Amino acid sequence: MQPYELPLTAAADAIRARQLSPVELADSVLERIAQVEPHLQAYVTVAAEHTRRAAREAENDIAAGRYRGPLHGIPMGLKDLIDVAGAATSAGSRVRADHRAQADSTVAARLSAAGAILVGKTHTHEFAYGLTTPQTNNAWDTGRVAGGSSGGSAVAVAAGTATFTLGTDTGGSIRVPAALNGVVGLKPTYGLVPRHGVTSLSWSLDHVGSITRTVGDAALILTALAGHDPRDPASLTTPGTDYRPVSDADLTGLRVGVPRNHYFDHVDEEVEAAVRRAIDQLRALGARLVEVEIPMTRYIQATHWGLMVPEATAYHESTLRTVPELYQTDVRILLEAGELMPAGDYLRAQRSRTLMRQEWARMLQEVDLIVAPTVPATAVEAGQETITWADGTVEGVSDAYVRLSSPANITGAPSLSVPVGRDAAGLPIGMQLLGRPLGESVLLRVGQAYEQTQPARKLARTA
Amino acid sequence: MPSDELTPPEAARWAARAGLRLPADRNAAVAATANHIHSVVAVLRELDFGDTPPAPAYRAEPENHDAAV
Repeated sequence: MQPYELPLTAAADAIRARQLSPVELADSVLERIAQVEPHLQAYVTVAAEHTRRAAREAENDIAAGRYRGPLHGIPMGLKDLIDVAGAATSAGSRVRADHRAQADSTVAARLSAAGAILVGKTHTHEFAYGLTTPQTNNAWDTGRVAGGSSGGSAVAVAAGTATFTLGTDTGGSIRVPAALNGVVGLKPTYGLVPRHGVTSLSWSLDHVGSITRTVGDAALILTALAGHDPRDPASLTTPGTDYRPVSDADLTGLRVGVPRNHYFDHVDEEVEAAVRRAIDQLRALGARLVEVEIPMTRYIQATHWGLMVPEATAYHESTLRTVPELYQTDVRILLEAGELMPAGDYLRAQRSRTLMRQEWARMLQEVDLIVAPTVPATAVEAGQETITWADGTVEGVSDAYVRLSSPANITGAPSLSVPVGRDAAGLPIGMQLLGRPLGESVLLRVGQAYEQTQPARKLARTA
Repeated sequence: MPSDELTPPEAARWAARAGLRLPADRNAAVAATANHIHSVVAVLRELDFGDTPPAPAYRAEPENHDAAV
């Protein structure tokens, strides 16, 4: 096994035990980038010299006894919405052509302090306003979409060109590409990970989280990132904790909610079969399956759009007036149309969110978590605009990809996407675990318990 | 066309009222997208909100979190 193939947890163990040096790991990841990046286009920029220099510093520090912890010397990618001092935050847009971040975002600063090494910035759908990331190709089939908007981050982890990455998630933008590329995506509770220094799509729906090879890796990242920052007005004051799950795979007594509505409607047969097999596996580990009714499903898309559309338009108010021609066609039209939404629609969406949070809290008193597909279909071919379901219903690709993930953005509930197999074409399938607010530990425990029943996943065979 | 849909000239006027001057060749596309968005969000009018407040800045942790501190 080459160092670039190691999950974060294994790489960290090897570095701590002095069996692997950060320089060896960095060189291996950079070689992998040279090999596969031309086919994938996951990165906006790769800072190879910085990576090698930082790896040598990490090696020297560790040799001198200044070991900072499990992220020390680990190569990472950051979605190009996340500020790193001195670097451009392009947001995937010509609007940001001359941008240069003055300071680190909170998450970049925390990862840097933990010793992680920035390899490069990864592609995003322009300003995170889309679900495909057209600049980047799927790690398993380069003719298919990466998913989005954190497409570059998911593809980099799936292909071994970063040991872990960060993404952002406003309607599913971490979990969707994680599912479509066969890696683990964690959208934490709203406000748990500070967003200071991260370009916003929609303030009341935005989250920052990780994309990793394993659930244990996600726990390590969350432990480094969670914690209050008053510069993010939504930041929770919850005290920091160690999220690393115990390796006990016994789920006896755990109540797992299985939706009887919404989450299995208009879902590809192979996706449903893989998720239901995974749910059976949870039962075999001792969990008790409880059927649940998802509340207010008729109002999910309306609430999500009612919040996101005007907030995104507000964020771009100035540049939409000065340089509208620099936006991509799909994003510009949404920003312009958002100008026409009355405040009454926005307030109804905010009031609907209040109701939805109350109803979800009620439902989550009956169960400890909910399991469901992350996305209803695997990665579609690049350029495909619609999905036709078995009953003849035609749905836009973006609408389909966001349909199952947006409830966690509306309610702020944590959601963890884990790979649960592949379809006949070899494309990855994801299952999401949805928990109570601040219930990350439960999701990570269950996700890891499931993961331990499966053979270790291999990287995408990107050629 | 349903009576609550915006025509392209109306879309241009609404945009101008919001402070955005649309190039004339964008009016039809913006009207179509705005009408689609409206058709999605309009279902929220079915809800009986009673005294339910909006949630513009909310706390995701349990409501008793502060009380316990």
